[in-house]
Amino acid sequence: MIKVENLKKSFKLTSKQQKEFNTTDTEAKSVDGISFTCQPGKIFSLLGPNGAGKTTTLRMLSTIIKPTSGTIEVAGFNVDMQANEVRKRIGFLTGSTGLYERLTPDEILKYYADLNDVSKADFEKRKKHYYDLLDMNDFAKKRIGQLSTGMKQKVSITRTMIHDPEVVVFDEPTSGLDVITAENIIKLIRDCKTAGKTVIFSSHIMSEVDLLCDDLAIINKGKILYQDTMQHFRTNMKTASLTAEFIRIVNENQPINA
Amino acid sequence: MKKILTIAKKEFLDMFRDKRTLMRMILIPLLAFPVIIYLITALQAAESEKEATKELVVGYHLNGQSSAMIERMDTTAHFKFVPYTDTTSLSAAVSNDSINLGIWFSSSFDQNYEAREQGEYGVFYRSADMEEYDRFQELIKIQEEYLVQERLAQNELPAEYVQPLLLNSQGGNKSTMTETIAKYAGGILPYIFMAFCFMGCMLPAIDLFAGEKERGTIETLLVTPVNRVHILVGKMIVVTAFGLLSATVSLVGLLGSLYLMEIDPELNQIIAMVITPQLVIMLYALLIPTAIFFAGIMIPVSVYSRSFKEAQSILTPLNMAVIIPTLVGFLPGIELDYTTSWIPIVNVVLATKAMIAGDPDFGPVIITFVSLIFLSAIAVFISLKQFGKEGNVLR
Repeated sequence: MIKVENLKKSFKLTSKQQKEFNTTDTEAKSVDGISFTCQPGKIFSLLGPNGAGKTTTLRMLSTIIKPTSGTIEVAGFNVDMQANEVRKRIGFLTGSTGLYERLTPDEILKYYADLNDVSKADFEKRKKHYYDLLDMNDFAKKRIGQLSTGMKQKVSITRTMIHDPEVVVFDEPTSGLDVITAENIIKLIRDCKTAGKTVIFSSHIMSEVDLLCDDLAIINKGKILYQDTMQHFRTNMKTASLTAEFIRIVNENQPINA
Repeated sequence: MKKILTIAKKEFLDMFRDKRTLMRMILIPLLAFPVIIYLITALQAAESEKEATKELVVGYHLNGQSSAMIERMDTTAHFKFVPYTDTTSLSAAVSNDSINLGIWFSSSFDQNYEAREQGEYGVFYRSADMEEYDRFQELIKIQEEYLVQERLAQNELPAEYVQPLLLNSQGGNKSTMTETIAKYAGGILPYIFMAFCFMGCMLPAIDLFAGEKERGTIETLLVTPVNRVHILVGKMIVVTAFGLLSATVSLVGLLGSLYLMEIDPELNQIIAMVITPQLVIMLYALLIPTAIFFAGIMIPVSVYSRSFKEAQSILTPLNMAVIIPTLVGFLPGIELDYTTSWIPIVNVVLATKAMIAGDPDFGPVIITFVSLIFLSAIAVFISLKQFGKEGNVLR
């Protein structure tokens, strides 16, 4: 489970950034008092345009950066106070995730398994499971630099799941991928749900959200504008399509926590 | 500790598979000196041989004086003497390089010589071709010696008449060979060590931090249950180790080439005398904290930089800040004392020189070592602070 309460994150602006953004403010609010809950066995989607605060929120959930205020609980542990416990239970995948080009999939997976204290038996079992599932056996010993984008994405997926995390965070996971490669991610997200894991993913592609999510929150300029189940979203739409409804909500910009 | 080693092991593997790393940190330091030494010695030998056998055309203007001296010199191999009627045309011929050198005699040369006075002469030469002038001077010296002997014989005087002092064989050089080497050539060793150590640290420092940011792998690393201090230490071990490796390889390349090319057997004996196990141990005792210090000043820059290129553009000029102080080692007058032992880099260079000489004053050496430890600790602390800043890591 993920519980987020009144989460805020602001960044100090340099004088160069103040000039760039034409402001006298000394800090910029990237996330401004958001709250939501993600349940195990459900997929929660954080939807918003570029610069809405999605990535910052997910980075805070994943302990990469610290909140300015507010609390986050991941799998029963406080992100600020028990960051290491959270990290043990979290998987993190982004569309822009890179891999070490000079290492092989085998070496990368072993590296992350060791960093996550995965036992040898569990590592071998999970590796075999994903290698068979994603058809990775043929390129397991090739260097990442020699692999196609699709192959690399399969390695990223296995890396994310190698320690069998309770909570999986996907930050625009299909960004920049072709439909066939993106399909692997979609399948992974579904499998995580079936396995009873807590899944949160950010996107600005409405069709992807419609396909996967149980609950959603629309975020813009650091505030949550809409938050409900996907079922209610579909039922209460005031426009003809999901994308049009998303755009309408963002444009009207009436935050529910304003 | 296990996680630190896991990170270090992975980074070593990653770096050793990088062709740039192998080229810049191992192959170039290993081959730089053998290639340079080979080229210099081969070129020098070829040039010396060419110069020694090159025929020098010397113009002369007797100015009505005896040609005896010219005739004696003309018998020397690889010299050709050509007469000129005046000094103006002789000077012009040297200026426009149609002849190599010119010699003229004063109108009273013979008369003065006969009168036991000095016979005056002049030489036209070009400083751009000093080796030609030097060869001719050797010839003139022989002539002068000949004329001295002639005068002594005429006056029935012994050779000792013009050599009033005799140096007794008792006495002589009292400094050891290592002291002499340390004073005049002792700067080379620390210079090589420091320069290659710095360059060896640079590439991994950039690749392991700025490179990781650029490749988009830093986020996934930060989500693992590994303390950031452990991540930093694991990477720092690799940066430091590559600095030491690069310095070691360059030294092996230098010494190996001197031995294998057999340039000078005496030089090999001196090297064997200077490079003792004790010196190597002490050198590494100084070099390890120095490499940590280098890593510690490079890592914050690399952490701050957005890309490999940005980090490289900041760190490359820093190279000069290390190279210039190491040049102090080449200045004979400056030694390790209670003042210089506090100056970073300079103290390592001077301490190494003192150790080569075999007479280190242990007070300043200890200050050097302690100050290096202190500086490297500060550098590590700054690295930790910078690596802990989320604004830097995700910049």
